[in-house]
Amino acid sequence: MTGLIKGCALALAATICIAGGANAQDCPVKLGAILPVSGPMGQVGERISNTGAFAVKLFNEAGGVKGCPVEYVLRDTQGQSAIGVDAAKSLVDLEGVAALIGAVSSGVSLPVLTSVAVPSKVVQVSCCSSSESFTALAEEGKTEGYWFRTYATNRSQSAMGAKLAIDSGFKKTAVIYVNTDFGVGLAKRFEDDIAKLGGTITSSVAYNESQQSYRAEVTKALEGEPDSLFLVAFPVDGATITREWLALGGTDNLIVNNSLRSDDYIQAVGAQYLTNLVGYDSAQPRVASVDTFNELFEAEFDGPPDGPGLHSVFDAVNVVLLAMEQSDEITGDNIREGIRAVTADGGTEVYPGVEGIQRAKELIAAGEAIRYVGATGALQFDANGDVQAPKMTWKLDGETNVETGYMSTEEVAELIKMLDAN
Amino acid sequence: MIGVLSYLIFFLILALTFGIAVMGLNLQWGFTGLFNAGVAGFLAVGGYTHAILTGPARDAVFGGFELPFIVGLLGAMVAAGVVAIIVGLVTLRLRDEYLAVATFGIAVSIQLVAVNWEYMTGGTLGLIGIPNPSKVLADGPLRQNAIYLALVVGVTLLAYIGLQRIVQSPWGRVLKAIREDEVAASSLGKNPTRVRLEAFTLGCSLMGLSGALYVGFIGFVGATDFLPIITFQIWTMLIVGGSGNMKGAILGAMIVWGVWTGSGFAISKVVAPEWQAQSGALQAVLIGLILVLTLLMRPKGMIGEDVTVSRHATDL
Repeated sequence: MTGLIKGCALALAATICIAGGANAQDCPVKLGAILPVSGPMGQVGERISNTGAFAVKLFNEAGGVKGCPVEYVLRDTQGQSAIGVDAAKSLVDLEGVAALIGAVSSGVSLPVLTSVAVPSKVVQVSCCSSSESFTALAEEGKTEGYWFRTYATNRSQSAMGAKLAIDSGFKKTAVIYVNTDFGVGLAKRFEDDIAKLGGTITSSVAYNESQQSYRAEVTKALEGEPDSLFLVAFPVDGATITREWLALGGTDNLIVNNSLRSDDYIQAVGAQYLTNLVGYDSAQPRVASVDTFNELFEAEFDGPPDGPGLHSVFDAVNVVLLAMEQSDEITGDNIREGIRAVTADGGTEVYPGVEGIQRAKELIAAGEAIRYVGATGALQFDANGDVQAPKMTWKLDGETNVETGYMSTEEVAELIKMLDAN
Repeated sequence: MIGVLSYLIFFLILALTFGIAVMGLNLQWGFTGLFNAGVAGFLAVGGYTHAILTGPARDAVFGGFELPFIVGLLGAMVAAGVVAIIVGLVTLRLRDEYLAVATFGIAVSIQLVAVNWEYMTGGTLGLIGIPNPSKVLADGPLRQNAIYLALVVGVTLLAYIGLQRIVQSPWGRVLKAIREDEVAASSLGKNPTRVRLEAFTLGCSLMGLSGALYVGFIGFVGATDFLPIITFQIWTMLIVGGSGNMKGAILGAMIVWGVWTGSGFAISKVVAPEWQAQSGALQAVLIGLILVLTLLMRPKGMIGEDVTVSRHATDL
């Protein structure tokens, strides 16, 4: 029984301890990142992380936050929720970060948000989590405004997939989708959307990630003689499925989601088999800020910023750092307000890159309102912390992917409105 | 150093929560010799049951009964126990590696059910808004977490004391007898099949309890929370801490979870972000190394098994 008494005494002592002063404002200012740089999402996560670090580097070249250099502190989630939660808590408590970038998958972002970010009053900005659960949680007031994402929600993705299918003249579409919150939500919406536009679905088949073969799923999807396939997948598994689909006699009329606009996927399948492929992706608005980012990225990484999450993580980092610059004191609450302030309508527009950030800092120092227009264009966070983004469509020309169409934020909103109204 | 204290509390909550599952596994493997490779599945059963019983009502999803926290914990134990009885009746006639393969398959099946049975589990969206009782009792994450830690410490102690009494009882000695020589045990009139089922069920209900405490703390349960790698983590904790000793089980949970998270912290301190993808693999290697070193240098773990099996034995 002495063990019990000791345990209670320890717990009591811990309970009495009072949460004292917040983290002190010392140099460097730390920005936490929780991203899956190893594990099944490692390939995607590593590029996202490097782009985030690049945004920090540019910000530092422009003078950092409040004269302090910014330190980018990365913790690997390994794609596991318990590891991600611990990493986030350690960043908040031991490193004293007031804002977190991440995570990639919603299954990690959500536990981090509910058990670390919101209770600790730390802002969390995800580049990539697409689950509808975040919107639901925000509507219930449970995110307390600490949650933002620079990644457009699924809603527009299914609309784009359906529009592509109809515009290409397909009548009977099979769907193979990844069995995650992302894939399930998208596939479900797609069924509704394509029906409203006059198409039909022959079958809708979920696949689980990281399998050696998807023969069973592909065989099932081939039933009903579809004239096209809508594939919602990530590059590695997506390539396996596409190869098996073509090998088993499936049509090469492919419609693919945003994640497959990736050289990994195209090279793994072979561009010569993908001549009839069409895809969509979040597009950058036709504003100069996007070209600025693309040029900066190309100069740094020796290749175009193709792939999921790169533009959105760049903007996630920038809005957080600008919000810090805007704040009197760097706290989660101030950043939460600051993010809205630096993206609000009516401010002087500022752009990415060293000069753009320097200009932003000058304006903030002069007490003027700014509006950050970045790699994903002008971000407009709604009450739930969500954004919409313009879309583009693409196909392959030889080995390279070329754009075939562009829809602005307004046009995307109109398409969704039309689909939801019917 | 409020930050360090705050993190320490957070760390202990997770480590002790895993420790409860390790004690359950210890009862099965350390005392009875049952190779349960499906720990993640029973954690998931407990976690989801807790979420369904205590969580808020949702459209199109079963559950949301908003029952008290304690009902969630007990319900999780019962649910995991019931699943264990069903699984046990089917698989416990299997021995060693056959049992391991069967239970591993069951854990994977449970995870797939969690992903696909949307009406019950919310599918890949998971179940959100699971209430954490400490949130209504105090303000601020430090106090809230301290209260939750007190609760986890209390549950851990209850489980520890209960298990110690059980394994020192005559029934506990039968467990060891079965582990050492099943034929000899049955020749003494014991019913090994029945006792194995009892030990398996009790151990699994502790895993369910652990899953419930995890979900109650995090406030969310999703299909990716209980991946097969958790089973490996729990097993490593048991082997490192010392199989056959409940103190060892708790110690092992602390050490292995400490190395797992501590190595992540150290890597982020030492290694530049652009090289972390490579060093992430190093982390897995490190855990493997600790496991192998333990097996080579301290095959019985940090704290080995108690030689005395009866508390009356010392009276002699």
